[in-house]
Amino acid sequence: MEVYDLVIIGAGPAGMTAGVFAIRKGLKTVIVSEDIGGQVNWTNDIENYMGFGEIDGQSLVRKFEEQVKEHRVMVKLTAVRSLKKEGELFFIRTESEETITGKTAIICSGKRPKTLNVPGEEEFRNKGVSYCSTCDGPLFRGVPVAVVGGGNSAVKSALDLAHYASEIHLFSLLSNLTADAILVERLQREGKIKTYLGHTVVEIKGGQAVEKVTVERVDTKERFEVPVQGVFVEIGLIPNTDFVDDTVERNELQEIMVDCLCRTNIPGLFAAGDVSSVPEKQIIIAAGEGAKAAIQAWEYLLKRSDASAQ
Amino acid sequence: MSDVTVYTTPTCPWCTRLKNYLKEKGVDFNEVDVSTDYDSAMKMVELTGQRSVPVLTKGDQYVVGFNPDQIDRILQ
Repeated sequence: MEVYDLVIIGAGPAGMTAGVFAIRKGLKTVIVSEDIGGQVNWTNDIENYMGFGEIDGQSLVRKFEEQVKEHRVMVKLTAVRSLKKEGELFFIRTESEETITGKTAIICSGKRPKTLNVPGEEEFRNKGVSYCSTCDGPLFRGVPVAVVGGGNSAVKSALDLAHYASEIHLFSLLSNLTADAILVERLQREGKIKTYLGHTVVEIKGGQAVEKVTVERVDTKERFEVPVQGVFVEIGLIPNTDFVDDTVERNELQEIMVDCLCRTNIPGLFAAGDVSSVPEKQIIIAAGEGAKAAIQAWEYLLKRSDASAQ
Repeated sequence: MSDVTVYTTPTCPWCTRLKNYLKEKGVDFNEVDVSTDYDSAMKMVELTGQRSVPVLTKGDQYVVGFNPDQIDRILQ
């Protein structure tokens, strides 16, 4: 059985940085991930990653990837199904039916868009329901659409869609928009966008594709329908922790609890980046946390080998 | 002319990712920008039944989204 010193789950900024740091510490390392880059792939303009001025997400991912390749970090592109600790070893089962074994593991699996969990959402996914207005927006030229959410992503999405859609209905659960003031100002100036505060979408209906949404007013529970051909869901993100069992402690946001050394409650298991409870979700923070987690994994192995030598 | 076609929009990060993936593998492909070519956009929606990019087609097979496993399978 091949045993790695370190198995890194996820290849976003945290995972790729952890990989480079681990190799430099001489650890036999593998990164297992469904994709390369994670959420950075969805980001258009990055203006706060030091050393690059302004860079788009794809280019930054490519630079990270080049560095990972230069350090010859092994990368297996497959999703992780489960992670279990038995004795002193971690067993990571992948979608490609492989079991990868490691003495330590770092979870850097990031976050994904939260779903509404209403009837019709799954049925009409990609048939009008979208989680990426920058990708799919142009396919809704001249037709009415709905945007669900009230934060920066939702408002940006509505403003984006104003270039294509005939009308935009923005539904925010809260009685105010939590987006930045500058975005709300732009929203108010855009005649095509109708904002419904204190409203939520409770059902998505259609035939072959989306035809309308049922909307509920939060305070009165009054319901009405709005004809739309697209529904853009922008209600935040959820951590990718489905493969982790209940023995790994999480907070109320389902983020994996870590201390300031990226340690989870399980010895030898670390977490870094957006999936962890570390405050502030930024690329530069995720990268730094990844570095820290890799160094901690190395120290953990060092202490363990010292202990067994005594 | 290649029998692989990729339907994209210019602002779609996954479309860029897909194109880079094909270039790295040395696969020739035609690109259709569905944000400017409405007829092709509708053809794509009709073929896949989905309103989402990127879409890769080869003959009558297609993959919606950037999914390397599925892409490799239909490129074989």
